[in-house]
Amino acid sequence: MSLRLQRVEKRYPEFTIRLDLTVAPGELLTLLGPSGCGKTTSLRLVAGFISPDRGRIWIDGRPVDREPAHRRQVGIVFQDYALFPNLNVLDNVRFGPQVQGWPAAEARRRAEELLERVHLAGYGPRRVDTLSGGEKQRVALARALAPRPRLLLLDEPLAALDAKLRQSLRREIHSLQHDFRITTVYVTHDQEEALALSDRIAVMRAGRIEQVGSPEEVYARPRNLFVAGFLGRANLVPCTLGGREGGFLSLQTALGRLQAPAPDGRLPSGIRRWVLVFRPEACRLGGRSGNRFRGRVVRREYQGSQVELEIEAQGVRLAVTVPEQHGQEAANLRSGSPLSFSVDPARCWLIPESGAKSFSSPGS
Amino acid sequence: MLKSRRAGRGLGRAAWPSAALFAVPLAFLALFFYYPLLSMLAGGLSDSGGRFSLSRVLAILRDPYYLRIIGFTFEQAFLSTLLSLALGLPGAYLLARYEFAGKRVVRALSTVPFVLPSIILVLGFVRFFGNNGTLNRLLMGLLRLREPPLRVLYSFWAILLAHAFYNFPVAMRIVSALWARLPPTLEEAARSLGAHGPRLFLRVTLPQLAPGVLASAALIYIFCFLSFAVVLVLGGGPRFTTLEVEIYRLAKVGLDLPAASALALIGALLSLLALFAYLRLQARAAFAEELELAPAGRRLTELLRRPLGFLVPLYLAFLVLVVAAPILTVVGYSLQGRAGWSVGGFSLAWYRRLLDPGEVHLRAIRNSLSFAALTVALSVPLGTALAYLGSRRRTAGSSVLEPLLMLPLGVSTIILGLGYLRAYRVLPWLGAALGPLSGSGGWPAVVLAHTVIAYPFVVRAVSPVLRKIKPSLPEAARSLGAGSWQLFLRLELPLLKSALLTGAAFAFGISVGEINATLMLATPELTTMPIAVYRLIGSYNFVGASAMGTLLMLLCFLAFLAIDRMGREL
Repeated sequence: MSLRLQRVEKRYPEFTIRLDLTVAPGELLTLLGPSGCGKTTSLRLVAGFISPDRGRIWIDGRPVDREPAHRRQVGIVFQDYALFPNLNVLDNVRFGPQVQGWPAAEARRRAEELLERVHLAGYGPRRVDTLSGGEKQRVALARALAPRPRLLLLDEPLAALDAKLRQSLRREIHSLQHDFRITTVYVTHDQEEALALSDRIAVMRAGRIEQVGSPEEVYARPRNLFVAGFLGRANLVPCTLGGREGGFLSLQTALGRLQAPAPDGRLPSGIRRWVLVFRPEACRLGGRSGNRFRGRVVRREYQGSQVELEIEAQGVRLAVTVPEQHGQEAANLRSGSPLSFSVDPARCWLIPESGAKSFSSPGS
Repeated sequence: MLKSRRAGRGLGRAAWPSAALFAVPLAFLALFFYYPLLSMLAGGLSDSGGRFSLSRVLAILRDPYYLRIIGFTFEQAFLSTLLSLALGLPGAYLLARYEFAGKRVVRALSTVPFVLPSIILVLGFVRFFGNNGTLNRLLMGLLRLREPPLRVLYSFWAILLAHAFYNFPVAMRIVSALWARLPPTLEEAARSLGAHGPRLFLRVTLPQLAPGVLASAALIYIFCFLSFAVVLVLGGGPRFTTLEVEIYRLAKVGLDLPAASALALIGALLSLLALFAYLRLQARAAFAEELELAPAGRRLTELLRRPLGFLVPLYLAFLVLVVAAPILTVVGYSLQGRAGWSVGGFSLAWYRRLLDPGEVHLRAIRNSLSFAALTVALSVPLGTALAYLGSRRRTAGSSVLEPLLMLPLGVSTIILGLGYLRAYRVLPWLGAALGPLSGSGGWPAVVLAHTVIAYPFVVRAVSPVLRKIKPSLPEAARSLGAGSWQLFLRLELPLLKSALLTGAAFAFGISVGEINATLMLATPELTTMPIAVYRLIGSYNFVGASAMGTLLMLLCFLAFLAIDRMGREL
């Protein structure tokens, strides 16, 4: 079943939500953004708990704007689980089939099948308040899937769980979604979750979608500074453009002449001020080719699998991560130690400095 | 995520398909509370020709007799409140901060005054403190006196003591619930910063408790201001008359409804001021009133080892005695052999008379039970619907709505009864349907009045539970395909079950024990159990009154058990 939000608008005093988005059948699309950006409200629009001021919502090619929530056949999983405290586990899971009028035996079979699928076989008679957080969330998943919904909506389903549990449940959600091939919209503010789970990610800010694309696309080629900064960490060096130099553009920066590929492979015109962007993990200590930087270590933080360095170069702060296996090189570094490192120009990219504003139209 | 998320909160539009569901309860209130009330007020504001005039009100405000009554009403309410706080606050501290054997008993006792009919308290008081009462006879026996040493009854003190004994649990409950909820880390932080002793209490603890103390004071003040049976019987005469009693006398004895209306107008204004104070304070304190037993921690024995620690068990024993003594006195007295002043042996004679089908008393019992059943049947749906209405925060007028819905808490039942009496005259068809004019002895009016008096307690039982239902629960149910009725029957009703039973128990207890409005509305032939007790006291038949009172207490005790059991599940 596909989902389409066609120029949907919902106005609030703080800002307006504007969505234009299609989710393909069987796809898992994540709405990713800081809290308060309108992700949850978008989900509630789809579920039918609130209705848009403008635009239409289509499920499976049919407009659903006039259907109340209980007719939409949209399963939803909440961050706080929202298990019915007056019902046991089995009754929670078969609530949907029951209220939708399935034959009793079939409802029960379906509920038991799903409990087994989420590894909670035999939990049926338990009271829900005896379950752990992870178990509760698995019951909530089973409950949402039980009446065979057309869509599955997940609202920060892992936010209330601790880190380890989050990872295992994340895999479980992934495999469930895959097995049931159910079109899914997943809301989270956790970029790691979004990158690991999604077929596509829609990065949201202040009610708008800033960029939509596969996790690789969004991570490797963010369209603007907001997306670059929200997904992972990014080093930003303001620059102006020079001419072509081999396959790259040459750039003037406070750190000297550097290189980067032309955006979209073309020589851009019209925009004067740009920002050179690269990830901390693209940096290599030493190195003689590519973009080279010199600076002093300001801070060094050992993080187990890697060492993170904060470098100051000509007034610009840069982050460099060094994998543990090269940790020896970083081990002797102290605050104030001089350091040079390099970045392959192919792993750098350019974003217009005012880019945040120029990318309002979602590109799907 | 968005702040505006609340907009779609709660039951939402789809859940309650029609406004009719709310229109019925609101119409009920308009017809059976606001209309009688306003018509009574209008009566106070008109002259003999029916034109608008302040003459009646001004006449009262110029009359030294009435001014003394108004002054006395304030005075006794104020002093009773102080006394109740003094008696209840130490208990609040002990319940909130300490563990001790019998804590459950003290806590359970604090529910008693909510369901103990005032006429029983009066009866117990008379029998316990009276010149020929248990206490005096005990002292006479011990000290070998010929005259009763304590002359408490029919005095200012009797009123104050009865009010304090009746209301100290209110202060104890509200304040201790708040106190138990103060995070101990707050005091610990203050301690680590160097505060201790009285300074710690005054600067850290008391400011946190203040809203609770003030709210309970306002509530007690309202209760005492509106107190009727206690003043009527224990005050014993014109010297100790309050507004309520005077309104009753004017309406029922003097048959001067216009003057009663004018006095009621003044009384209602004064008591409503206190009600608004209470609602504001309660909102600020934002406490739930159920008493928490869990997080106390320290053992009471620690306190006992301190100097003056011996006062603690004395105090606790005193509290138990204060509540238990009137009750036990009544029960004990009901088993006496003969009526009148003399004392006989053990006998069930009066119980046999009460249950004799040929006697008037059995009819009183039957009336009370049917009124209570009808009151429950009406007030539970009414209170529940109004609690729903109040929980929909998006109604812009909800801050106005809540006081309007809870107004019956602050309007005296005497005034309500008076309003009904007036409404019959203004709208004869209403009178014909409800009251004495129809020859029904006024029972429909009694039931309606009881419903109006009882439903705020249903609202108070249901609202907190309703507010605790997370908005995601009904949303989850709807996303799974539950329509409005399924949502209500499968989710909301089960979640509210114990709150509804608590509300029903309150409504039952209130109806069974109500005497003020019943006295105003019922014709002499129509008796209820409290009225029977009142009349038996009036004819100095204390054994009969005690037997009827014991049966009444038994009914209230059942309601109390239900509330106590349910309260723990909330």
